[in-house]
Amino acid sequence: MSNKNYFSSEHLASHFEAIKPQLPGGDVKWLETFRENCMERFLETGIPGPRVEEWKYTNLGLLKDKSFEVSENQTDIDQSFIDTLSIPGLKGSKVVFIDGYLSKTYTSIKKEDEIILSSLTDLVKNNPDRAKALFNNHNSASSLFNLNLALMTGGYVLLIDENKKLAEPIQIIHFASQATKSNALRTQNFIEISSGGGAQIIENFVSLNKDFKWRQNNTQITLAKNASLEIYQFQNESSETLHMAETYIDVEDEADFKHFSLNIGARISRTELKPTLIGKHANIELRGAFLARNGSSHDVFTHMKHMVPEGTSDQVYRGVLDKGGKSAFQGRVYVAKDAQLTNAEQSNKNLILDRSAEANSKPELLIYADDVKCAHGATVGELDQEALFYLKSRGLDHKAAKALLVEAFVSEVFDDIKIEPVRQKYLTLARDWLEQGE
Amino acid sequence: MLEIKNLHVEVDGQKILKGLNLKINAGEVHAIMGPNGAGKSTLSYAICGKEGYEITEGSIFFKGKNILELEANERAGEGIFLGFQYPVEIPGVSNMNFLKAAINSIRKYRGEDEMAAVDFLKLIRAKAAELEMDPEMLKRAVNVGFSGGEKKRNEMVQMAMLDPIFSVLDETDSGLDIDALRIVADGINKMRSPEKAILVITHYQRLLDYVVPDFVHVLSNGKIVKSGDKELAHQLEKEGYAVLGIDENAA
Ligand SMILES: Nc1ncnc2c1ncn2[C@@H]1O[C@H](COP(=O)(O)OP(=O)(O)OP(=O)(O)O)[C@@H](O)[C@H]1O
Ligand SMILES: [Mg+2]
Repeated sequence: MSNKNYFSSEHLASHFEAIKPQLPGGDVKWLETFRENCMERFLETGIPGPRVEEWKYTNLGLLKDKSFEVSENQTDIDQSFIDTLSIPGLKGSKVVFIDGYLSKTYTSIKKEDEIILSSLTDLVKNNPDRAKALFNNHNSASSLFNLNLALMTGGYVLLIDENKKLAEPIQIIHFASQATKSNALRTQNFIEISSGGGAQIIENFVSLNKDFKWRQNNTQITLAKNASLEIYQFQNESSETLHMAETYIDVEDEADFKHFSLNIGARISRTELKPTLIGKHANIELRGAFLARNGSSHDVFTHMKHMVPEGTSDQVYRGVLDKGGKSAFQGRVYVAKDAQLTNAEQSNKNLILDRSAEANSKPELLIYADDVKCAHGATVGELDQEALFYLKSRGLDHKAAKALLVEAFVSEVFDDIKIEPVRQKYLTLARDWLEQGE
Repeated sequence: MLEIKNLHVEVDGQKILKGLNLKINAGEVHAIMGPNGAGKSTLSYAICGKEGYEITEGSIFFKGKNILELEANERAGEGIFLGFQYPVEIPGVSNMNFLKAAINSIRKYRGEDEMAAVDFLKLIRAKAAELEMDPEMLKRAVNVGFSGGEKKRNEMVQMAMLDPIFSVLDETDSGLDIDALRIVADGINKMRSPEKAILVITHYQRLLDYVVPDFVHVLSNGKIVKSGDKELAHQLEKEGYAVLGIDENAA
């Protein structure tokens, strides 16, 4: 607590004490102890301030003296509304969180998925041993990850058996309602895919509430040998939301992890992806776009750890910053001494549409092996005026010409998505965002 | 159709066009020749409304309308087309989508409905075939990785698709091989009609052998210094600009 680089976080300790009894699983002794331990670990440092290197572009000062309230929402939402948050044409299981709590009403888990997909609280109740194992080891996770573990109100657990491949993508909807009094929504998810197994997950974050909201949605992922996982995220939170998503991924031999994200909403969004390649020939692809204007800021922080030889990783991020928008991409690549023949690539390009916008890009390569291929590129540029005139000379008005160019710039990230309705959703959201500009 | 009077154009504070006059009637083909740096491309940009080309004096009327007040896209909507000397590469935008957006933007400007997808496909296939362009190129990003000649041919496909009333073709013949030149020239000739007009900017007589102009002008140092019929081009080809008292090194 004495560390001046962190904000005083005692108010979160009192918040924890106040809501502890009402948290899901509050009557389960081991879980309570687990939560307390996590809280302690969080308090060892607290909320990182802008002087902490990883947080230099995102100031969490707004959390300093906020008071927090958490309650389960009772209001009913229309099924038809939930449908509008879903991706049309997909038939798989759907898990719906409303204000941080899993909604039994709207969640629909397909018969064939029942044994693999469950709510975190159900798992704690029905299979405490498995739950304990999942909650086992988070000593090395960040302070905020521990905070979320202490305060989580729900989450999903996906446990896939050997060689089982899900036929349909699972949709996860994180919705913040208008009616809720909660201003802190915290979910924690676990995904474990056994060797040869595979899954696809689509996560959609939407909020309607115009008041301040702090959302944390963290995920712990383990991919065994030959396993594969694709995650597609859409973040379109309301303009007062602080959105944080932190994901740890342990990747074993020949496993394959792909992550696509689009950030267009929230006041501040922070996406942290921390894959560790612990098995040979693992492959990781991170792709994302962030679009910001009007005081909104997005911060993508990746930490790729190549611990063993012959792994490949590729990161492609595109930022579009309009009037009053801000972004940061920090891509840290660590290649351990033994991780020879690693191939790690990283590219971040940013397009500034207005002089008041700001884009930060900070690649950081920590390479201790000598026989590796690591490439990185970061650019910040403006729209190509010659291309703009070319399009206008063919009849497109300024706005349409600009939209076409920006869409081309962004869509590079989503071009090779195989699930067509998902690719369409990315494009539609990006187009809508552009449409709202000047 | 097009009437340019006393046109003065500045780029980055530098005077490029210095009192240019040009009148083109419907049904006519005009050719402009002139040394490098004379201001030919500048004229084409001024007609099409490129930003940064400041008109400090003079006027351009198109079909009786003062077009200097119109944005580039509005001029396209009015029926003006520019074949670029250096066509621009647009990564990530396919030729197909680009043309669809262009056609429908122009139709929208004219208060017409969007073109049906099937009609569009039919049209584009027909035009690509006429100009002997490989249909695969329509799927590729606009001009990205195209050879110099392919880019010029792509300009012609766009012209054919958009069916303009008045076209400026800025050195469309440069970089074309002998067969391509003939194909492009045929394309230009197809666009000739009593209701339309074309201004070709070129350095070479060989294009004018195929596309025989009604008038030939010489642009030098920001002005039209001589006008004549097709014979003028022949004369220049033989004797160079020096006979007109123009120093080729000082445009
Ligand atoms: N942005 C600019 N700033 C200053 N001068 C410019 C600028 N753009 C063009 N010019 C100058 O204007 C003059 C006319 O250029 P323009 O491109 O119109 O010539 P051109 O007649 O088309 O030549 P070419 O036959 O080589 O195509 C040139 O001297 C050129 O250097
Ligand atoms: Mg020129």
